[in-house]
Amino acid sequence: MEDINKDILLKASQGDMPAFELVYKASSSFVYNVALRVVNNREDALEVSQEVFMIIYHKLSSFRFESSFKTWVYRITANCAINFAKKYSRTKTVPFEEAYGEGSVLNEAHVKIDQDHKEEIVAQLLEQLNTDQRACVVLRDMQGLSYEEIAQSLNININTVRSRLKRAREKLLSLKRQVNYEKV
Amino acid sequence: MKKCDYFMDLIITDYIDDRIDKTSLDKLENHLMDCHDCRLFLKEVKDSAVSPFKVSAQPTVPVELWNTIKQKIEYEKDGRSRLEDFFEKIRGLIIFPRLVPILASLILMLLAGSVTISTIQVEQNKSKDQGEYLVSLLSPATAGITPENNDLGTPIEHYFL
Repeated sequence: MEDINKDILLKASQGDMPAFELVYKASSSFVYNVALRVVNNREDALEVSQEVFMIIYHKLSSFRFESSFKTWVYRITANCAINFAKKYSRTKTVPFEEAYGEGSVLNEAHVKIDQDHKEEIVAQLLEQLNTDQRACVVLRDMQGLSYEEIAQSLNININTVRSRLKRAREKLLSLKRQVNYEKV
Repeated sequence: MKKCDYFMDLIITDYIDDRIDKTSLDKLENHLMDCHDCRLFLKEVKDSAVSPFKVSAQPTVPVELWNTIKQKIEYEKDGRSRLEDFFEKIRGLIIFPRLVPILASLILMLLAGSVTISTIQVEQNKSKDQGEYLVSLLSPATAGITPENNDLGTPIEHYFL
């Protein structure tokens, strides 16, 4: 996420729309992508993103610059996306065999696979994780946040971040092994 | 194997995420040179649990998102300005806004005055009634006791009257 000048934030907090548009431009990619990966659905991701930006718009005037604006946005985004995912969790039964099976990006690492297919695989893999694990994986591996930033965003301690990432990765590994075992 | 568990634990989080301290890193790298299982585990973790997410592209934000947010904000602003207009109109209905406090204090004074006057009148009536009652008690004529009609037929009255 891009850094935003304090003056722009102050203007946006006073209801200045061009300034708020700059805030949106700097943070929309992060907000939308985290929402998309956590809720794993385009329409829901749009709804979550709208909610995040309306919160930012309304609460920007009470933002005191004691913490970083980025962390504040990370936190709002993570909270909205996780709450949405938990509230409207659609029990999809996505076969993980599709992600780790024949023709997957993992088995054909050297073959150029179109982007849509890659996207599908990522969505299927994320679907195997619970919401909390998914949020950690998205923030760490897809958005490149540090453990400290994830801990602040999710309001948990660093050890919890570490253990969620560990469990998520172990789960993906065991699914991969299961697929390999079934193939033998 | 116990040693491998320790290193696998490091591999799946701290090593992959570049959070490992120098001493542990040296130990792990020495171990990886000798241990085939741990090398395989590292490859598996990278290929199956980390790379698919790291190499995935960031989908572009749909243009409609900003349009919807902008509309929502403008709608909210519209609603707020309509409310402000309404209060402005109400304020406009009062022609001399500076007279309002004066009028209000005059009304208050009148109210207070009328309450005081009515209280005084009630008090006066009350004392008048009491006076009349006492007078009626003291005056035999008003009480219906005439010299001809003062014998109530009791011995004690005979004594006094």
